[in-house]
Amino acid sequence: MNDLQQQYRLEEVRKVFGRHQIALDGIDLNVQRGEKLALIGPSGAGKTTLFRLLNCTLRPTTGKLWLDDCDVESLHGKRLRAMRRQIGTIYQQHNLVQRLKVVHNVLAGQLGRWSTPRSLMSLAKPADLGLAHKALEQVGIADKIFERTDELSGGQQQRVAIARVLVQDPEVILADEPVSSVDPTLASTIVRLLIDISESTRKTLIVSLHSVDLALAYFPRVIGISHGSITFDLSPDKISEAMLEGLYAGNDREQPATEAVNEPASPIAYPSIS
Amino acid sequence: MNSRTALKTCETIPLRGGGRGGKFGAKNVLVLAATVALFVWSYRGAEIELTQLFSRDSVQQIVIYIKKLIPPDFSAPVLHGALKGTIETFAISFMGTLMAVGIALSVVFFASRNLIYSGLLYEMEPKQGWKRTARMLPYLAAKSLLNVLRTIPEMVWALIFVFMVGLGSFPGVLALGVHTGGVLGKLFGEVLEDVDTQPIESLQATGATRMQILFYGILPQVLPQFVAYTLYRWEVNIRVAAVLGLVGAGGLGQRIHIAISLFLENQLLTLIIAIYILVTIVDYLSAYLRRKVI
Repeated sequence: MNDLQQQYRLEEVRKVFGRHQIALDGIDLNVQRGEKLALIGPSGAGKTTLFRLLNCTLRPTTGKLWLDDCDVESLHGKRLRAMRRQIGTIYQQHNLVQRLKVVHNVLAGQLGRWSTPRSLMSLAKPADLGLAHKALEQVGIADKIFERTDELSGGQQQRVAIARVLVQDPEVILADEPVSSVDPTLASTIVRLLIDISESTRKTLIVSLHSVDLALAYFPRVIGISHGSITFDLSPDKISEAMLEGLYAGNDREQPATEAVNEPASPIAYPSIS
Repeated sequence: MNSRTALKTCETIPLRGGGRGGKFGAKNVLVLAATVALFVWSYRGAEIELTQLFSRDSVQQIVIYIKKLIPPDFSAPVLHGALKGTIETFAISFMGTLMAVGIALSVVFFASRNLIYSGLLYEMEPKQGWKRTARMLPYLAAKSLLNVLRTIPEMVWALIFVFMVGLGSFPGVLALGVHTGGVLGKLFGEVLEDVDTQPIESLQATGATRMQILFYGILPQVLPQFVAYTLYRWEVNIRVAAVLGLVGAGGLGQRIHIAISLFLENQLLTLIIAIYILVTIVDYLSAYLRRKVI
């Protein structure tokens, strides 16, 4: 019975790109259904790779990953798509197809349910306008529904991505640095929005955050990752300043070019919210 | 993002100054020597004789010929013929390009590695096994078909089609369509393999099928560039259509061939003017449309 409560189970998960580039180096992790947890750690620590494993984009090189007690290794084709439908992902940026209208990007959350002909017809005439409108209303940009996505600001685009996840209505929401390209005030609004959604619909929520303060303020469980391993997995009140400094030590100048944009030099110095 | 890869062929050659040994390093000297050797060899091979081109004799010949061309023949029947030829040439290039788009679009999706058997969309699929091999076969077939269409020049296709369906504009359309189909297939394929993968990954993560990803994530990204390449090839094709007639495939070319063969120099100049006007108009039109889509 307890097993039914389990969303994710990872055992000794390693991911190696090419021959030598170790992204994840033995991750053990259990996530219960409905849990809210934040991942923190320096850029290049392996958070994005972990997310790509959790949403079934990549396979572990070695180790086991169970999702809903289903070994991901055994999934492909139709069953893989069905599993992906249960996981909604929000990325740091470039979530959306820029040349499509907002409404189509939002309704793309339905693709896992729609047949191919239905999804094609929707491009000509949106198939479920009401649903798209409701989702956009929830994130506060209903007036943008017929605009082209590339005309929206970064923060607005991030809201569209969240609206897409609302339409997808998955069991799990994964958000990989969802607020690193928006200003601090908007960042806490978006994080709160994700928490609200998770609480009101009992969805599991896993968010990686650049801002340690946001993680500690809003999440009951915070996991520190560096060099592809988990360094701590605690509730925020048990995390000391020393642990945080240890987590980020020696990583100031090692940001890979892909993640270096839009990020302040030291995460601890990020403006605090309250 | 969208204009990044448009017509990028000339930008892909990296312009890096100097090898490891500076300006006069061994590598540069070697490249220079090879270039000079190639030049000398090709000069001989192409039987270039500049003295002959600039000899008094040939200059005189040219002057005489130009004198014969002037004035252009603007009599009603000649103008009428030139106009008819121009319309034919335009129609050949237009229909040929349209046919090419049809061929390219029906083949290119099989000829793109990232759509048919590897990369992000196949990351979670079993790496080995007969299914992967089965997906590779249409890829190889499509790729080689495009190569065959593209490597055989329009003129050769035109000769083949004249032999098959007889003289006239129709073999011209077929020749342009088939060759340009191969060219556009290759160009479209490059655009497809160069597509921004982030939005595709996020669509795939919603549980979308590959077909849905194609229509929601890939086509919106690539269509403007497809249109731009098509317009560019149309510009090329209008010039090709103007000479296809030399092998009997209709249009202005056929009339030019006749005018040259029958020593009707004044009519020839009229036809050359007609080509000039037609090509200029299509160039402007195409450039205008390309600015609109990108």
